Amino acid sequence: MVILNLVRAVSALPDGGVVEVAIPHPGDLELARRWAERTGNTVVSASPETTGRRTVLMRRGRTPDAALTLGADRMPGARLWIYTNFHCNLACDYCCVASSPKAAKRELGADLISRLAVQAADWGVRELYLTGGEPFLRRDIAEIVGSCTAALPTTVLTNGMLFRGHGLRALQAMPRTGFALQISLDSATPDVHDSHRGAGSWARAVDGIRTATAEGFRVRVAATISAPTHGALQHLRQFLDALEIPPGDQIIRPIALQGAAPSGVRLTRETLVPEVTVTTDGIYWHPVAATDERALVTRLIEPLAPALDRVSALFAEQWAATSTATSLFPCA
Amino acid sequence: MTNPLVIGAVAYTANVVPIWEGIRDYFRDSPAEMDFVLFSNYGRQVDALLAGHIDIAWNTNLAYVRTVLQTQGRCRALAMRDTDTTFATVFVARPGSGLNGPQSMKGSRLALGSADSAQAAILPMHYLARAGIDESELEVARFNSDIGKHGDTGRSELDAIAAVIAGDADVAAIGVTTWDAIGRDELMPDALEEVWRTEIYCHCMFTALDTLPAERYEPWVKKLLMMDWDIPADRRILELEGLRQWVPPQLAGYSALFEAVAEQGVASRW
Repeated sequence: MVILNLVRAVSALPDGGVVEVAIPHPGDLELARRWAERTGNTVVSASPETTGRRTVLMRRGRTPDAALTLGADRMPGARLWIYTNFHCNLACDYCCVASSPKAAKRELGADLISRLAVQAADWGVRELYLTGGEPFLRRDIAEIVGSCTAALPTTVLTNGMLFRGHGLRALQAMPRTGFALQISLDSATPDVHDSHRGAGSWARAVDGIRTATAEGFRVRVAATISAPTHGALQHLRQFLDALEIPPGDQIIRPIALQGAAPSGVRLTRETLVPEVTVTTDGIYWHPVAATDERALVTRLIEPLAPALDRVSALFAEQWAATSTATSLFPCA
Repeated sequence: MTNPLVIGAVAYTANVVPIWEGIRDYFRDSPAEMDFVLFSNYGRQVDALLAGHIDIAWNTNLAYVRTVLQTQGRCRALAMRDTDTTFATVFVARPGSGLNGPQSMKGSRLALGSADSAQAAILPMHYLARAGIDESELEVARFNSDIGKHGDTGRSELDAIAAVIAGDADVAAIGVTTWDAIGRDELMPDALEEVWRTEIYCHCMFTALDTLPAERYEPWVKKLLMMDWDIPADRRILELEGLRQWVPPQLAGYSALFEAVAEQGVASRW
């Protein structure tokens, strides 16, 4: 009796747990579906008739509401990432897109970025993130930030090392409201940071944080850390506290096994909540996989709305099927 | 969290952890903060309550009765689920069995759940006796599949049902929640049908000793009763625990079990 088997199997699960139950007779699949509907459980999938072995994959409880679970600001389409360029003054050994001074620039035009910002706002995107490469290598970065911020709250990810000369003037021209800088800093002392990013980079990044703060910008600091030594995270947080970076603006994330990284967290499209990302090559599932062909959604950048619709639809399907396995990878 | 109330519960399902973590979080930063301790069986939990290791026990109806008996009534019922106020035992048989009502069960093979399950063993025999059916007039098969958990897992009731379906028993006594869980006779009308149902009685409840000061339990009970089905975070807990609303205790709903325990000589411990 399939229902007894279902009750036994599902009642042994925690909420959200999934179990495979044999379906002895063809008509029992419909019975299993009706049982699930009636008792508040969820049929995740059923094996096709052609496999010869009929089973149903049943989740205990209903599919959780993605927006409630992740937060509305983390739903696909809430954020749009734009890779302004891929070249960089640094060659970090864990860079998820393998940027470096030798990398091709692959710049998105300022006009295109401006149009994307407007299209994003029209679609319902809530925030823009400009990243690279190092966005401050672009001479027109202030113009890009201006057009983006006019459309949506915008954050620029930077290593903070170029706030001098033209870079400083560009920074000073950027808006103080609706705009934030996210500066990378991996440790409270130069050793770890410089070992990944190059000698002297820590001191210049800290100078950059101080400069941006003094100029009146909201500054978030993001650390990319694989295996922190005992006390390292606490030390970093204390250091950032001393720089007057609010706790909510201190972001610590692991190294992803992407781009130049020889090791790190293995991420797949199936286990990653999407954050739609535009590069010169097309639209990708997530910024951490912006050079990974497996994460390519479409080569067509404009119009933007169909890609946002598609990612949302794909995520809805994915969430229904594997929400227990889907995880956030917070880049910001 | 300073001096939180400590609530005991029995780990009868993997869901117990998210349920109690959710309840603990619900009370966080309130005047009645709490923590919880899980036990493997109700006997151990009642022992812990009597020993003062926990302040409040989330008891089954039998665990409550045993607490009353072991303390000579020096305990206090605090709250229960709305669904605990309308519990009942359902007798199910194969369609066409000819069974209908208690008198028809004379001479039948009755499958019962675990011996310490109020709904699947103790109360069915009590209500049958009140209807004039003595155990000697039945061929009773007991499935003691989850002894210690007072039938909470539902496993012994599923075993009793399986015996009926397999033809090894004529009728099974199960809790109304198990009957609901298998879709009553609506999903599979050809497999089982309800042939009798007891009057309603009460099931689980929070129990404290009467030595727990009112200023300790009253804020906790007050906040518990405020848990709201329309608030998503609250609703998740309520759904997992199987209720829509916490309600004040209804002690009259336990009188049948007190009588049954006395009649059947059920031990006041374990």
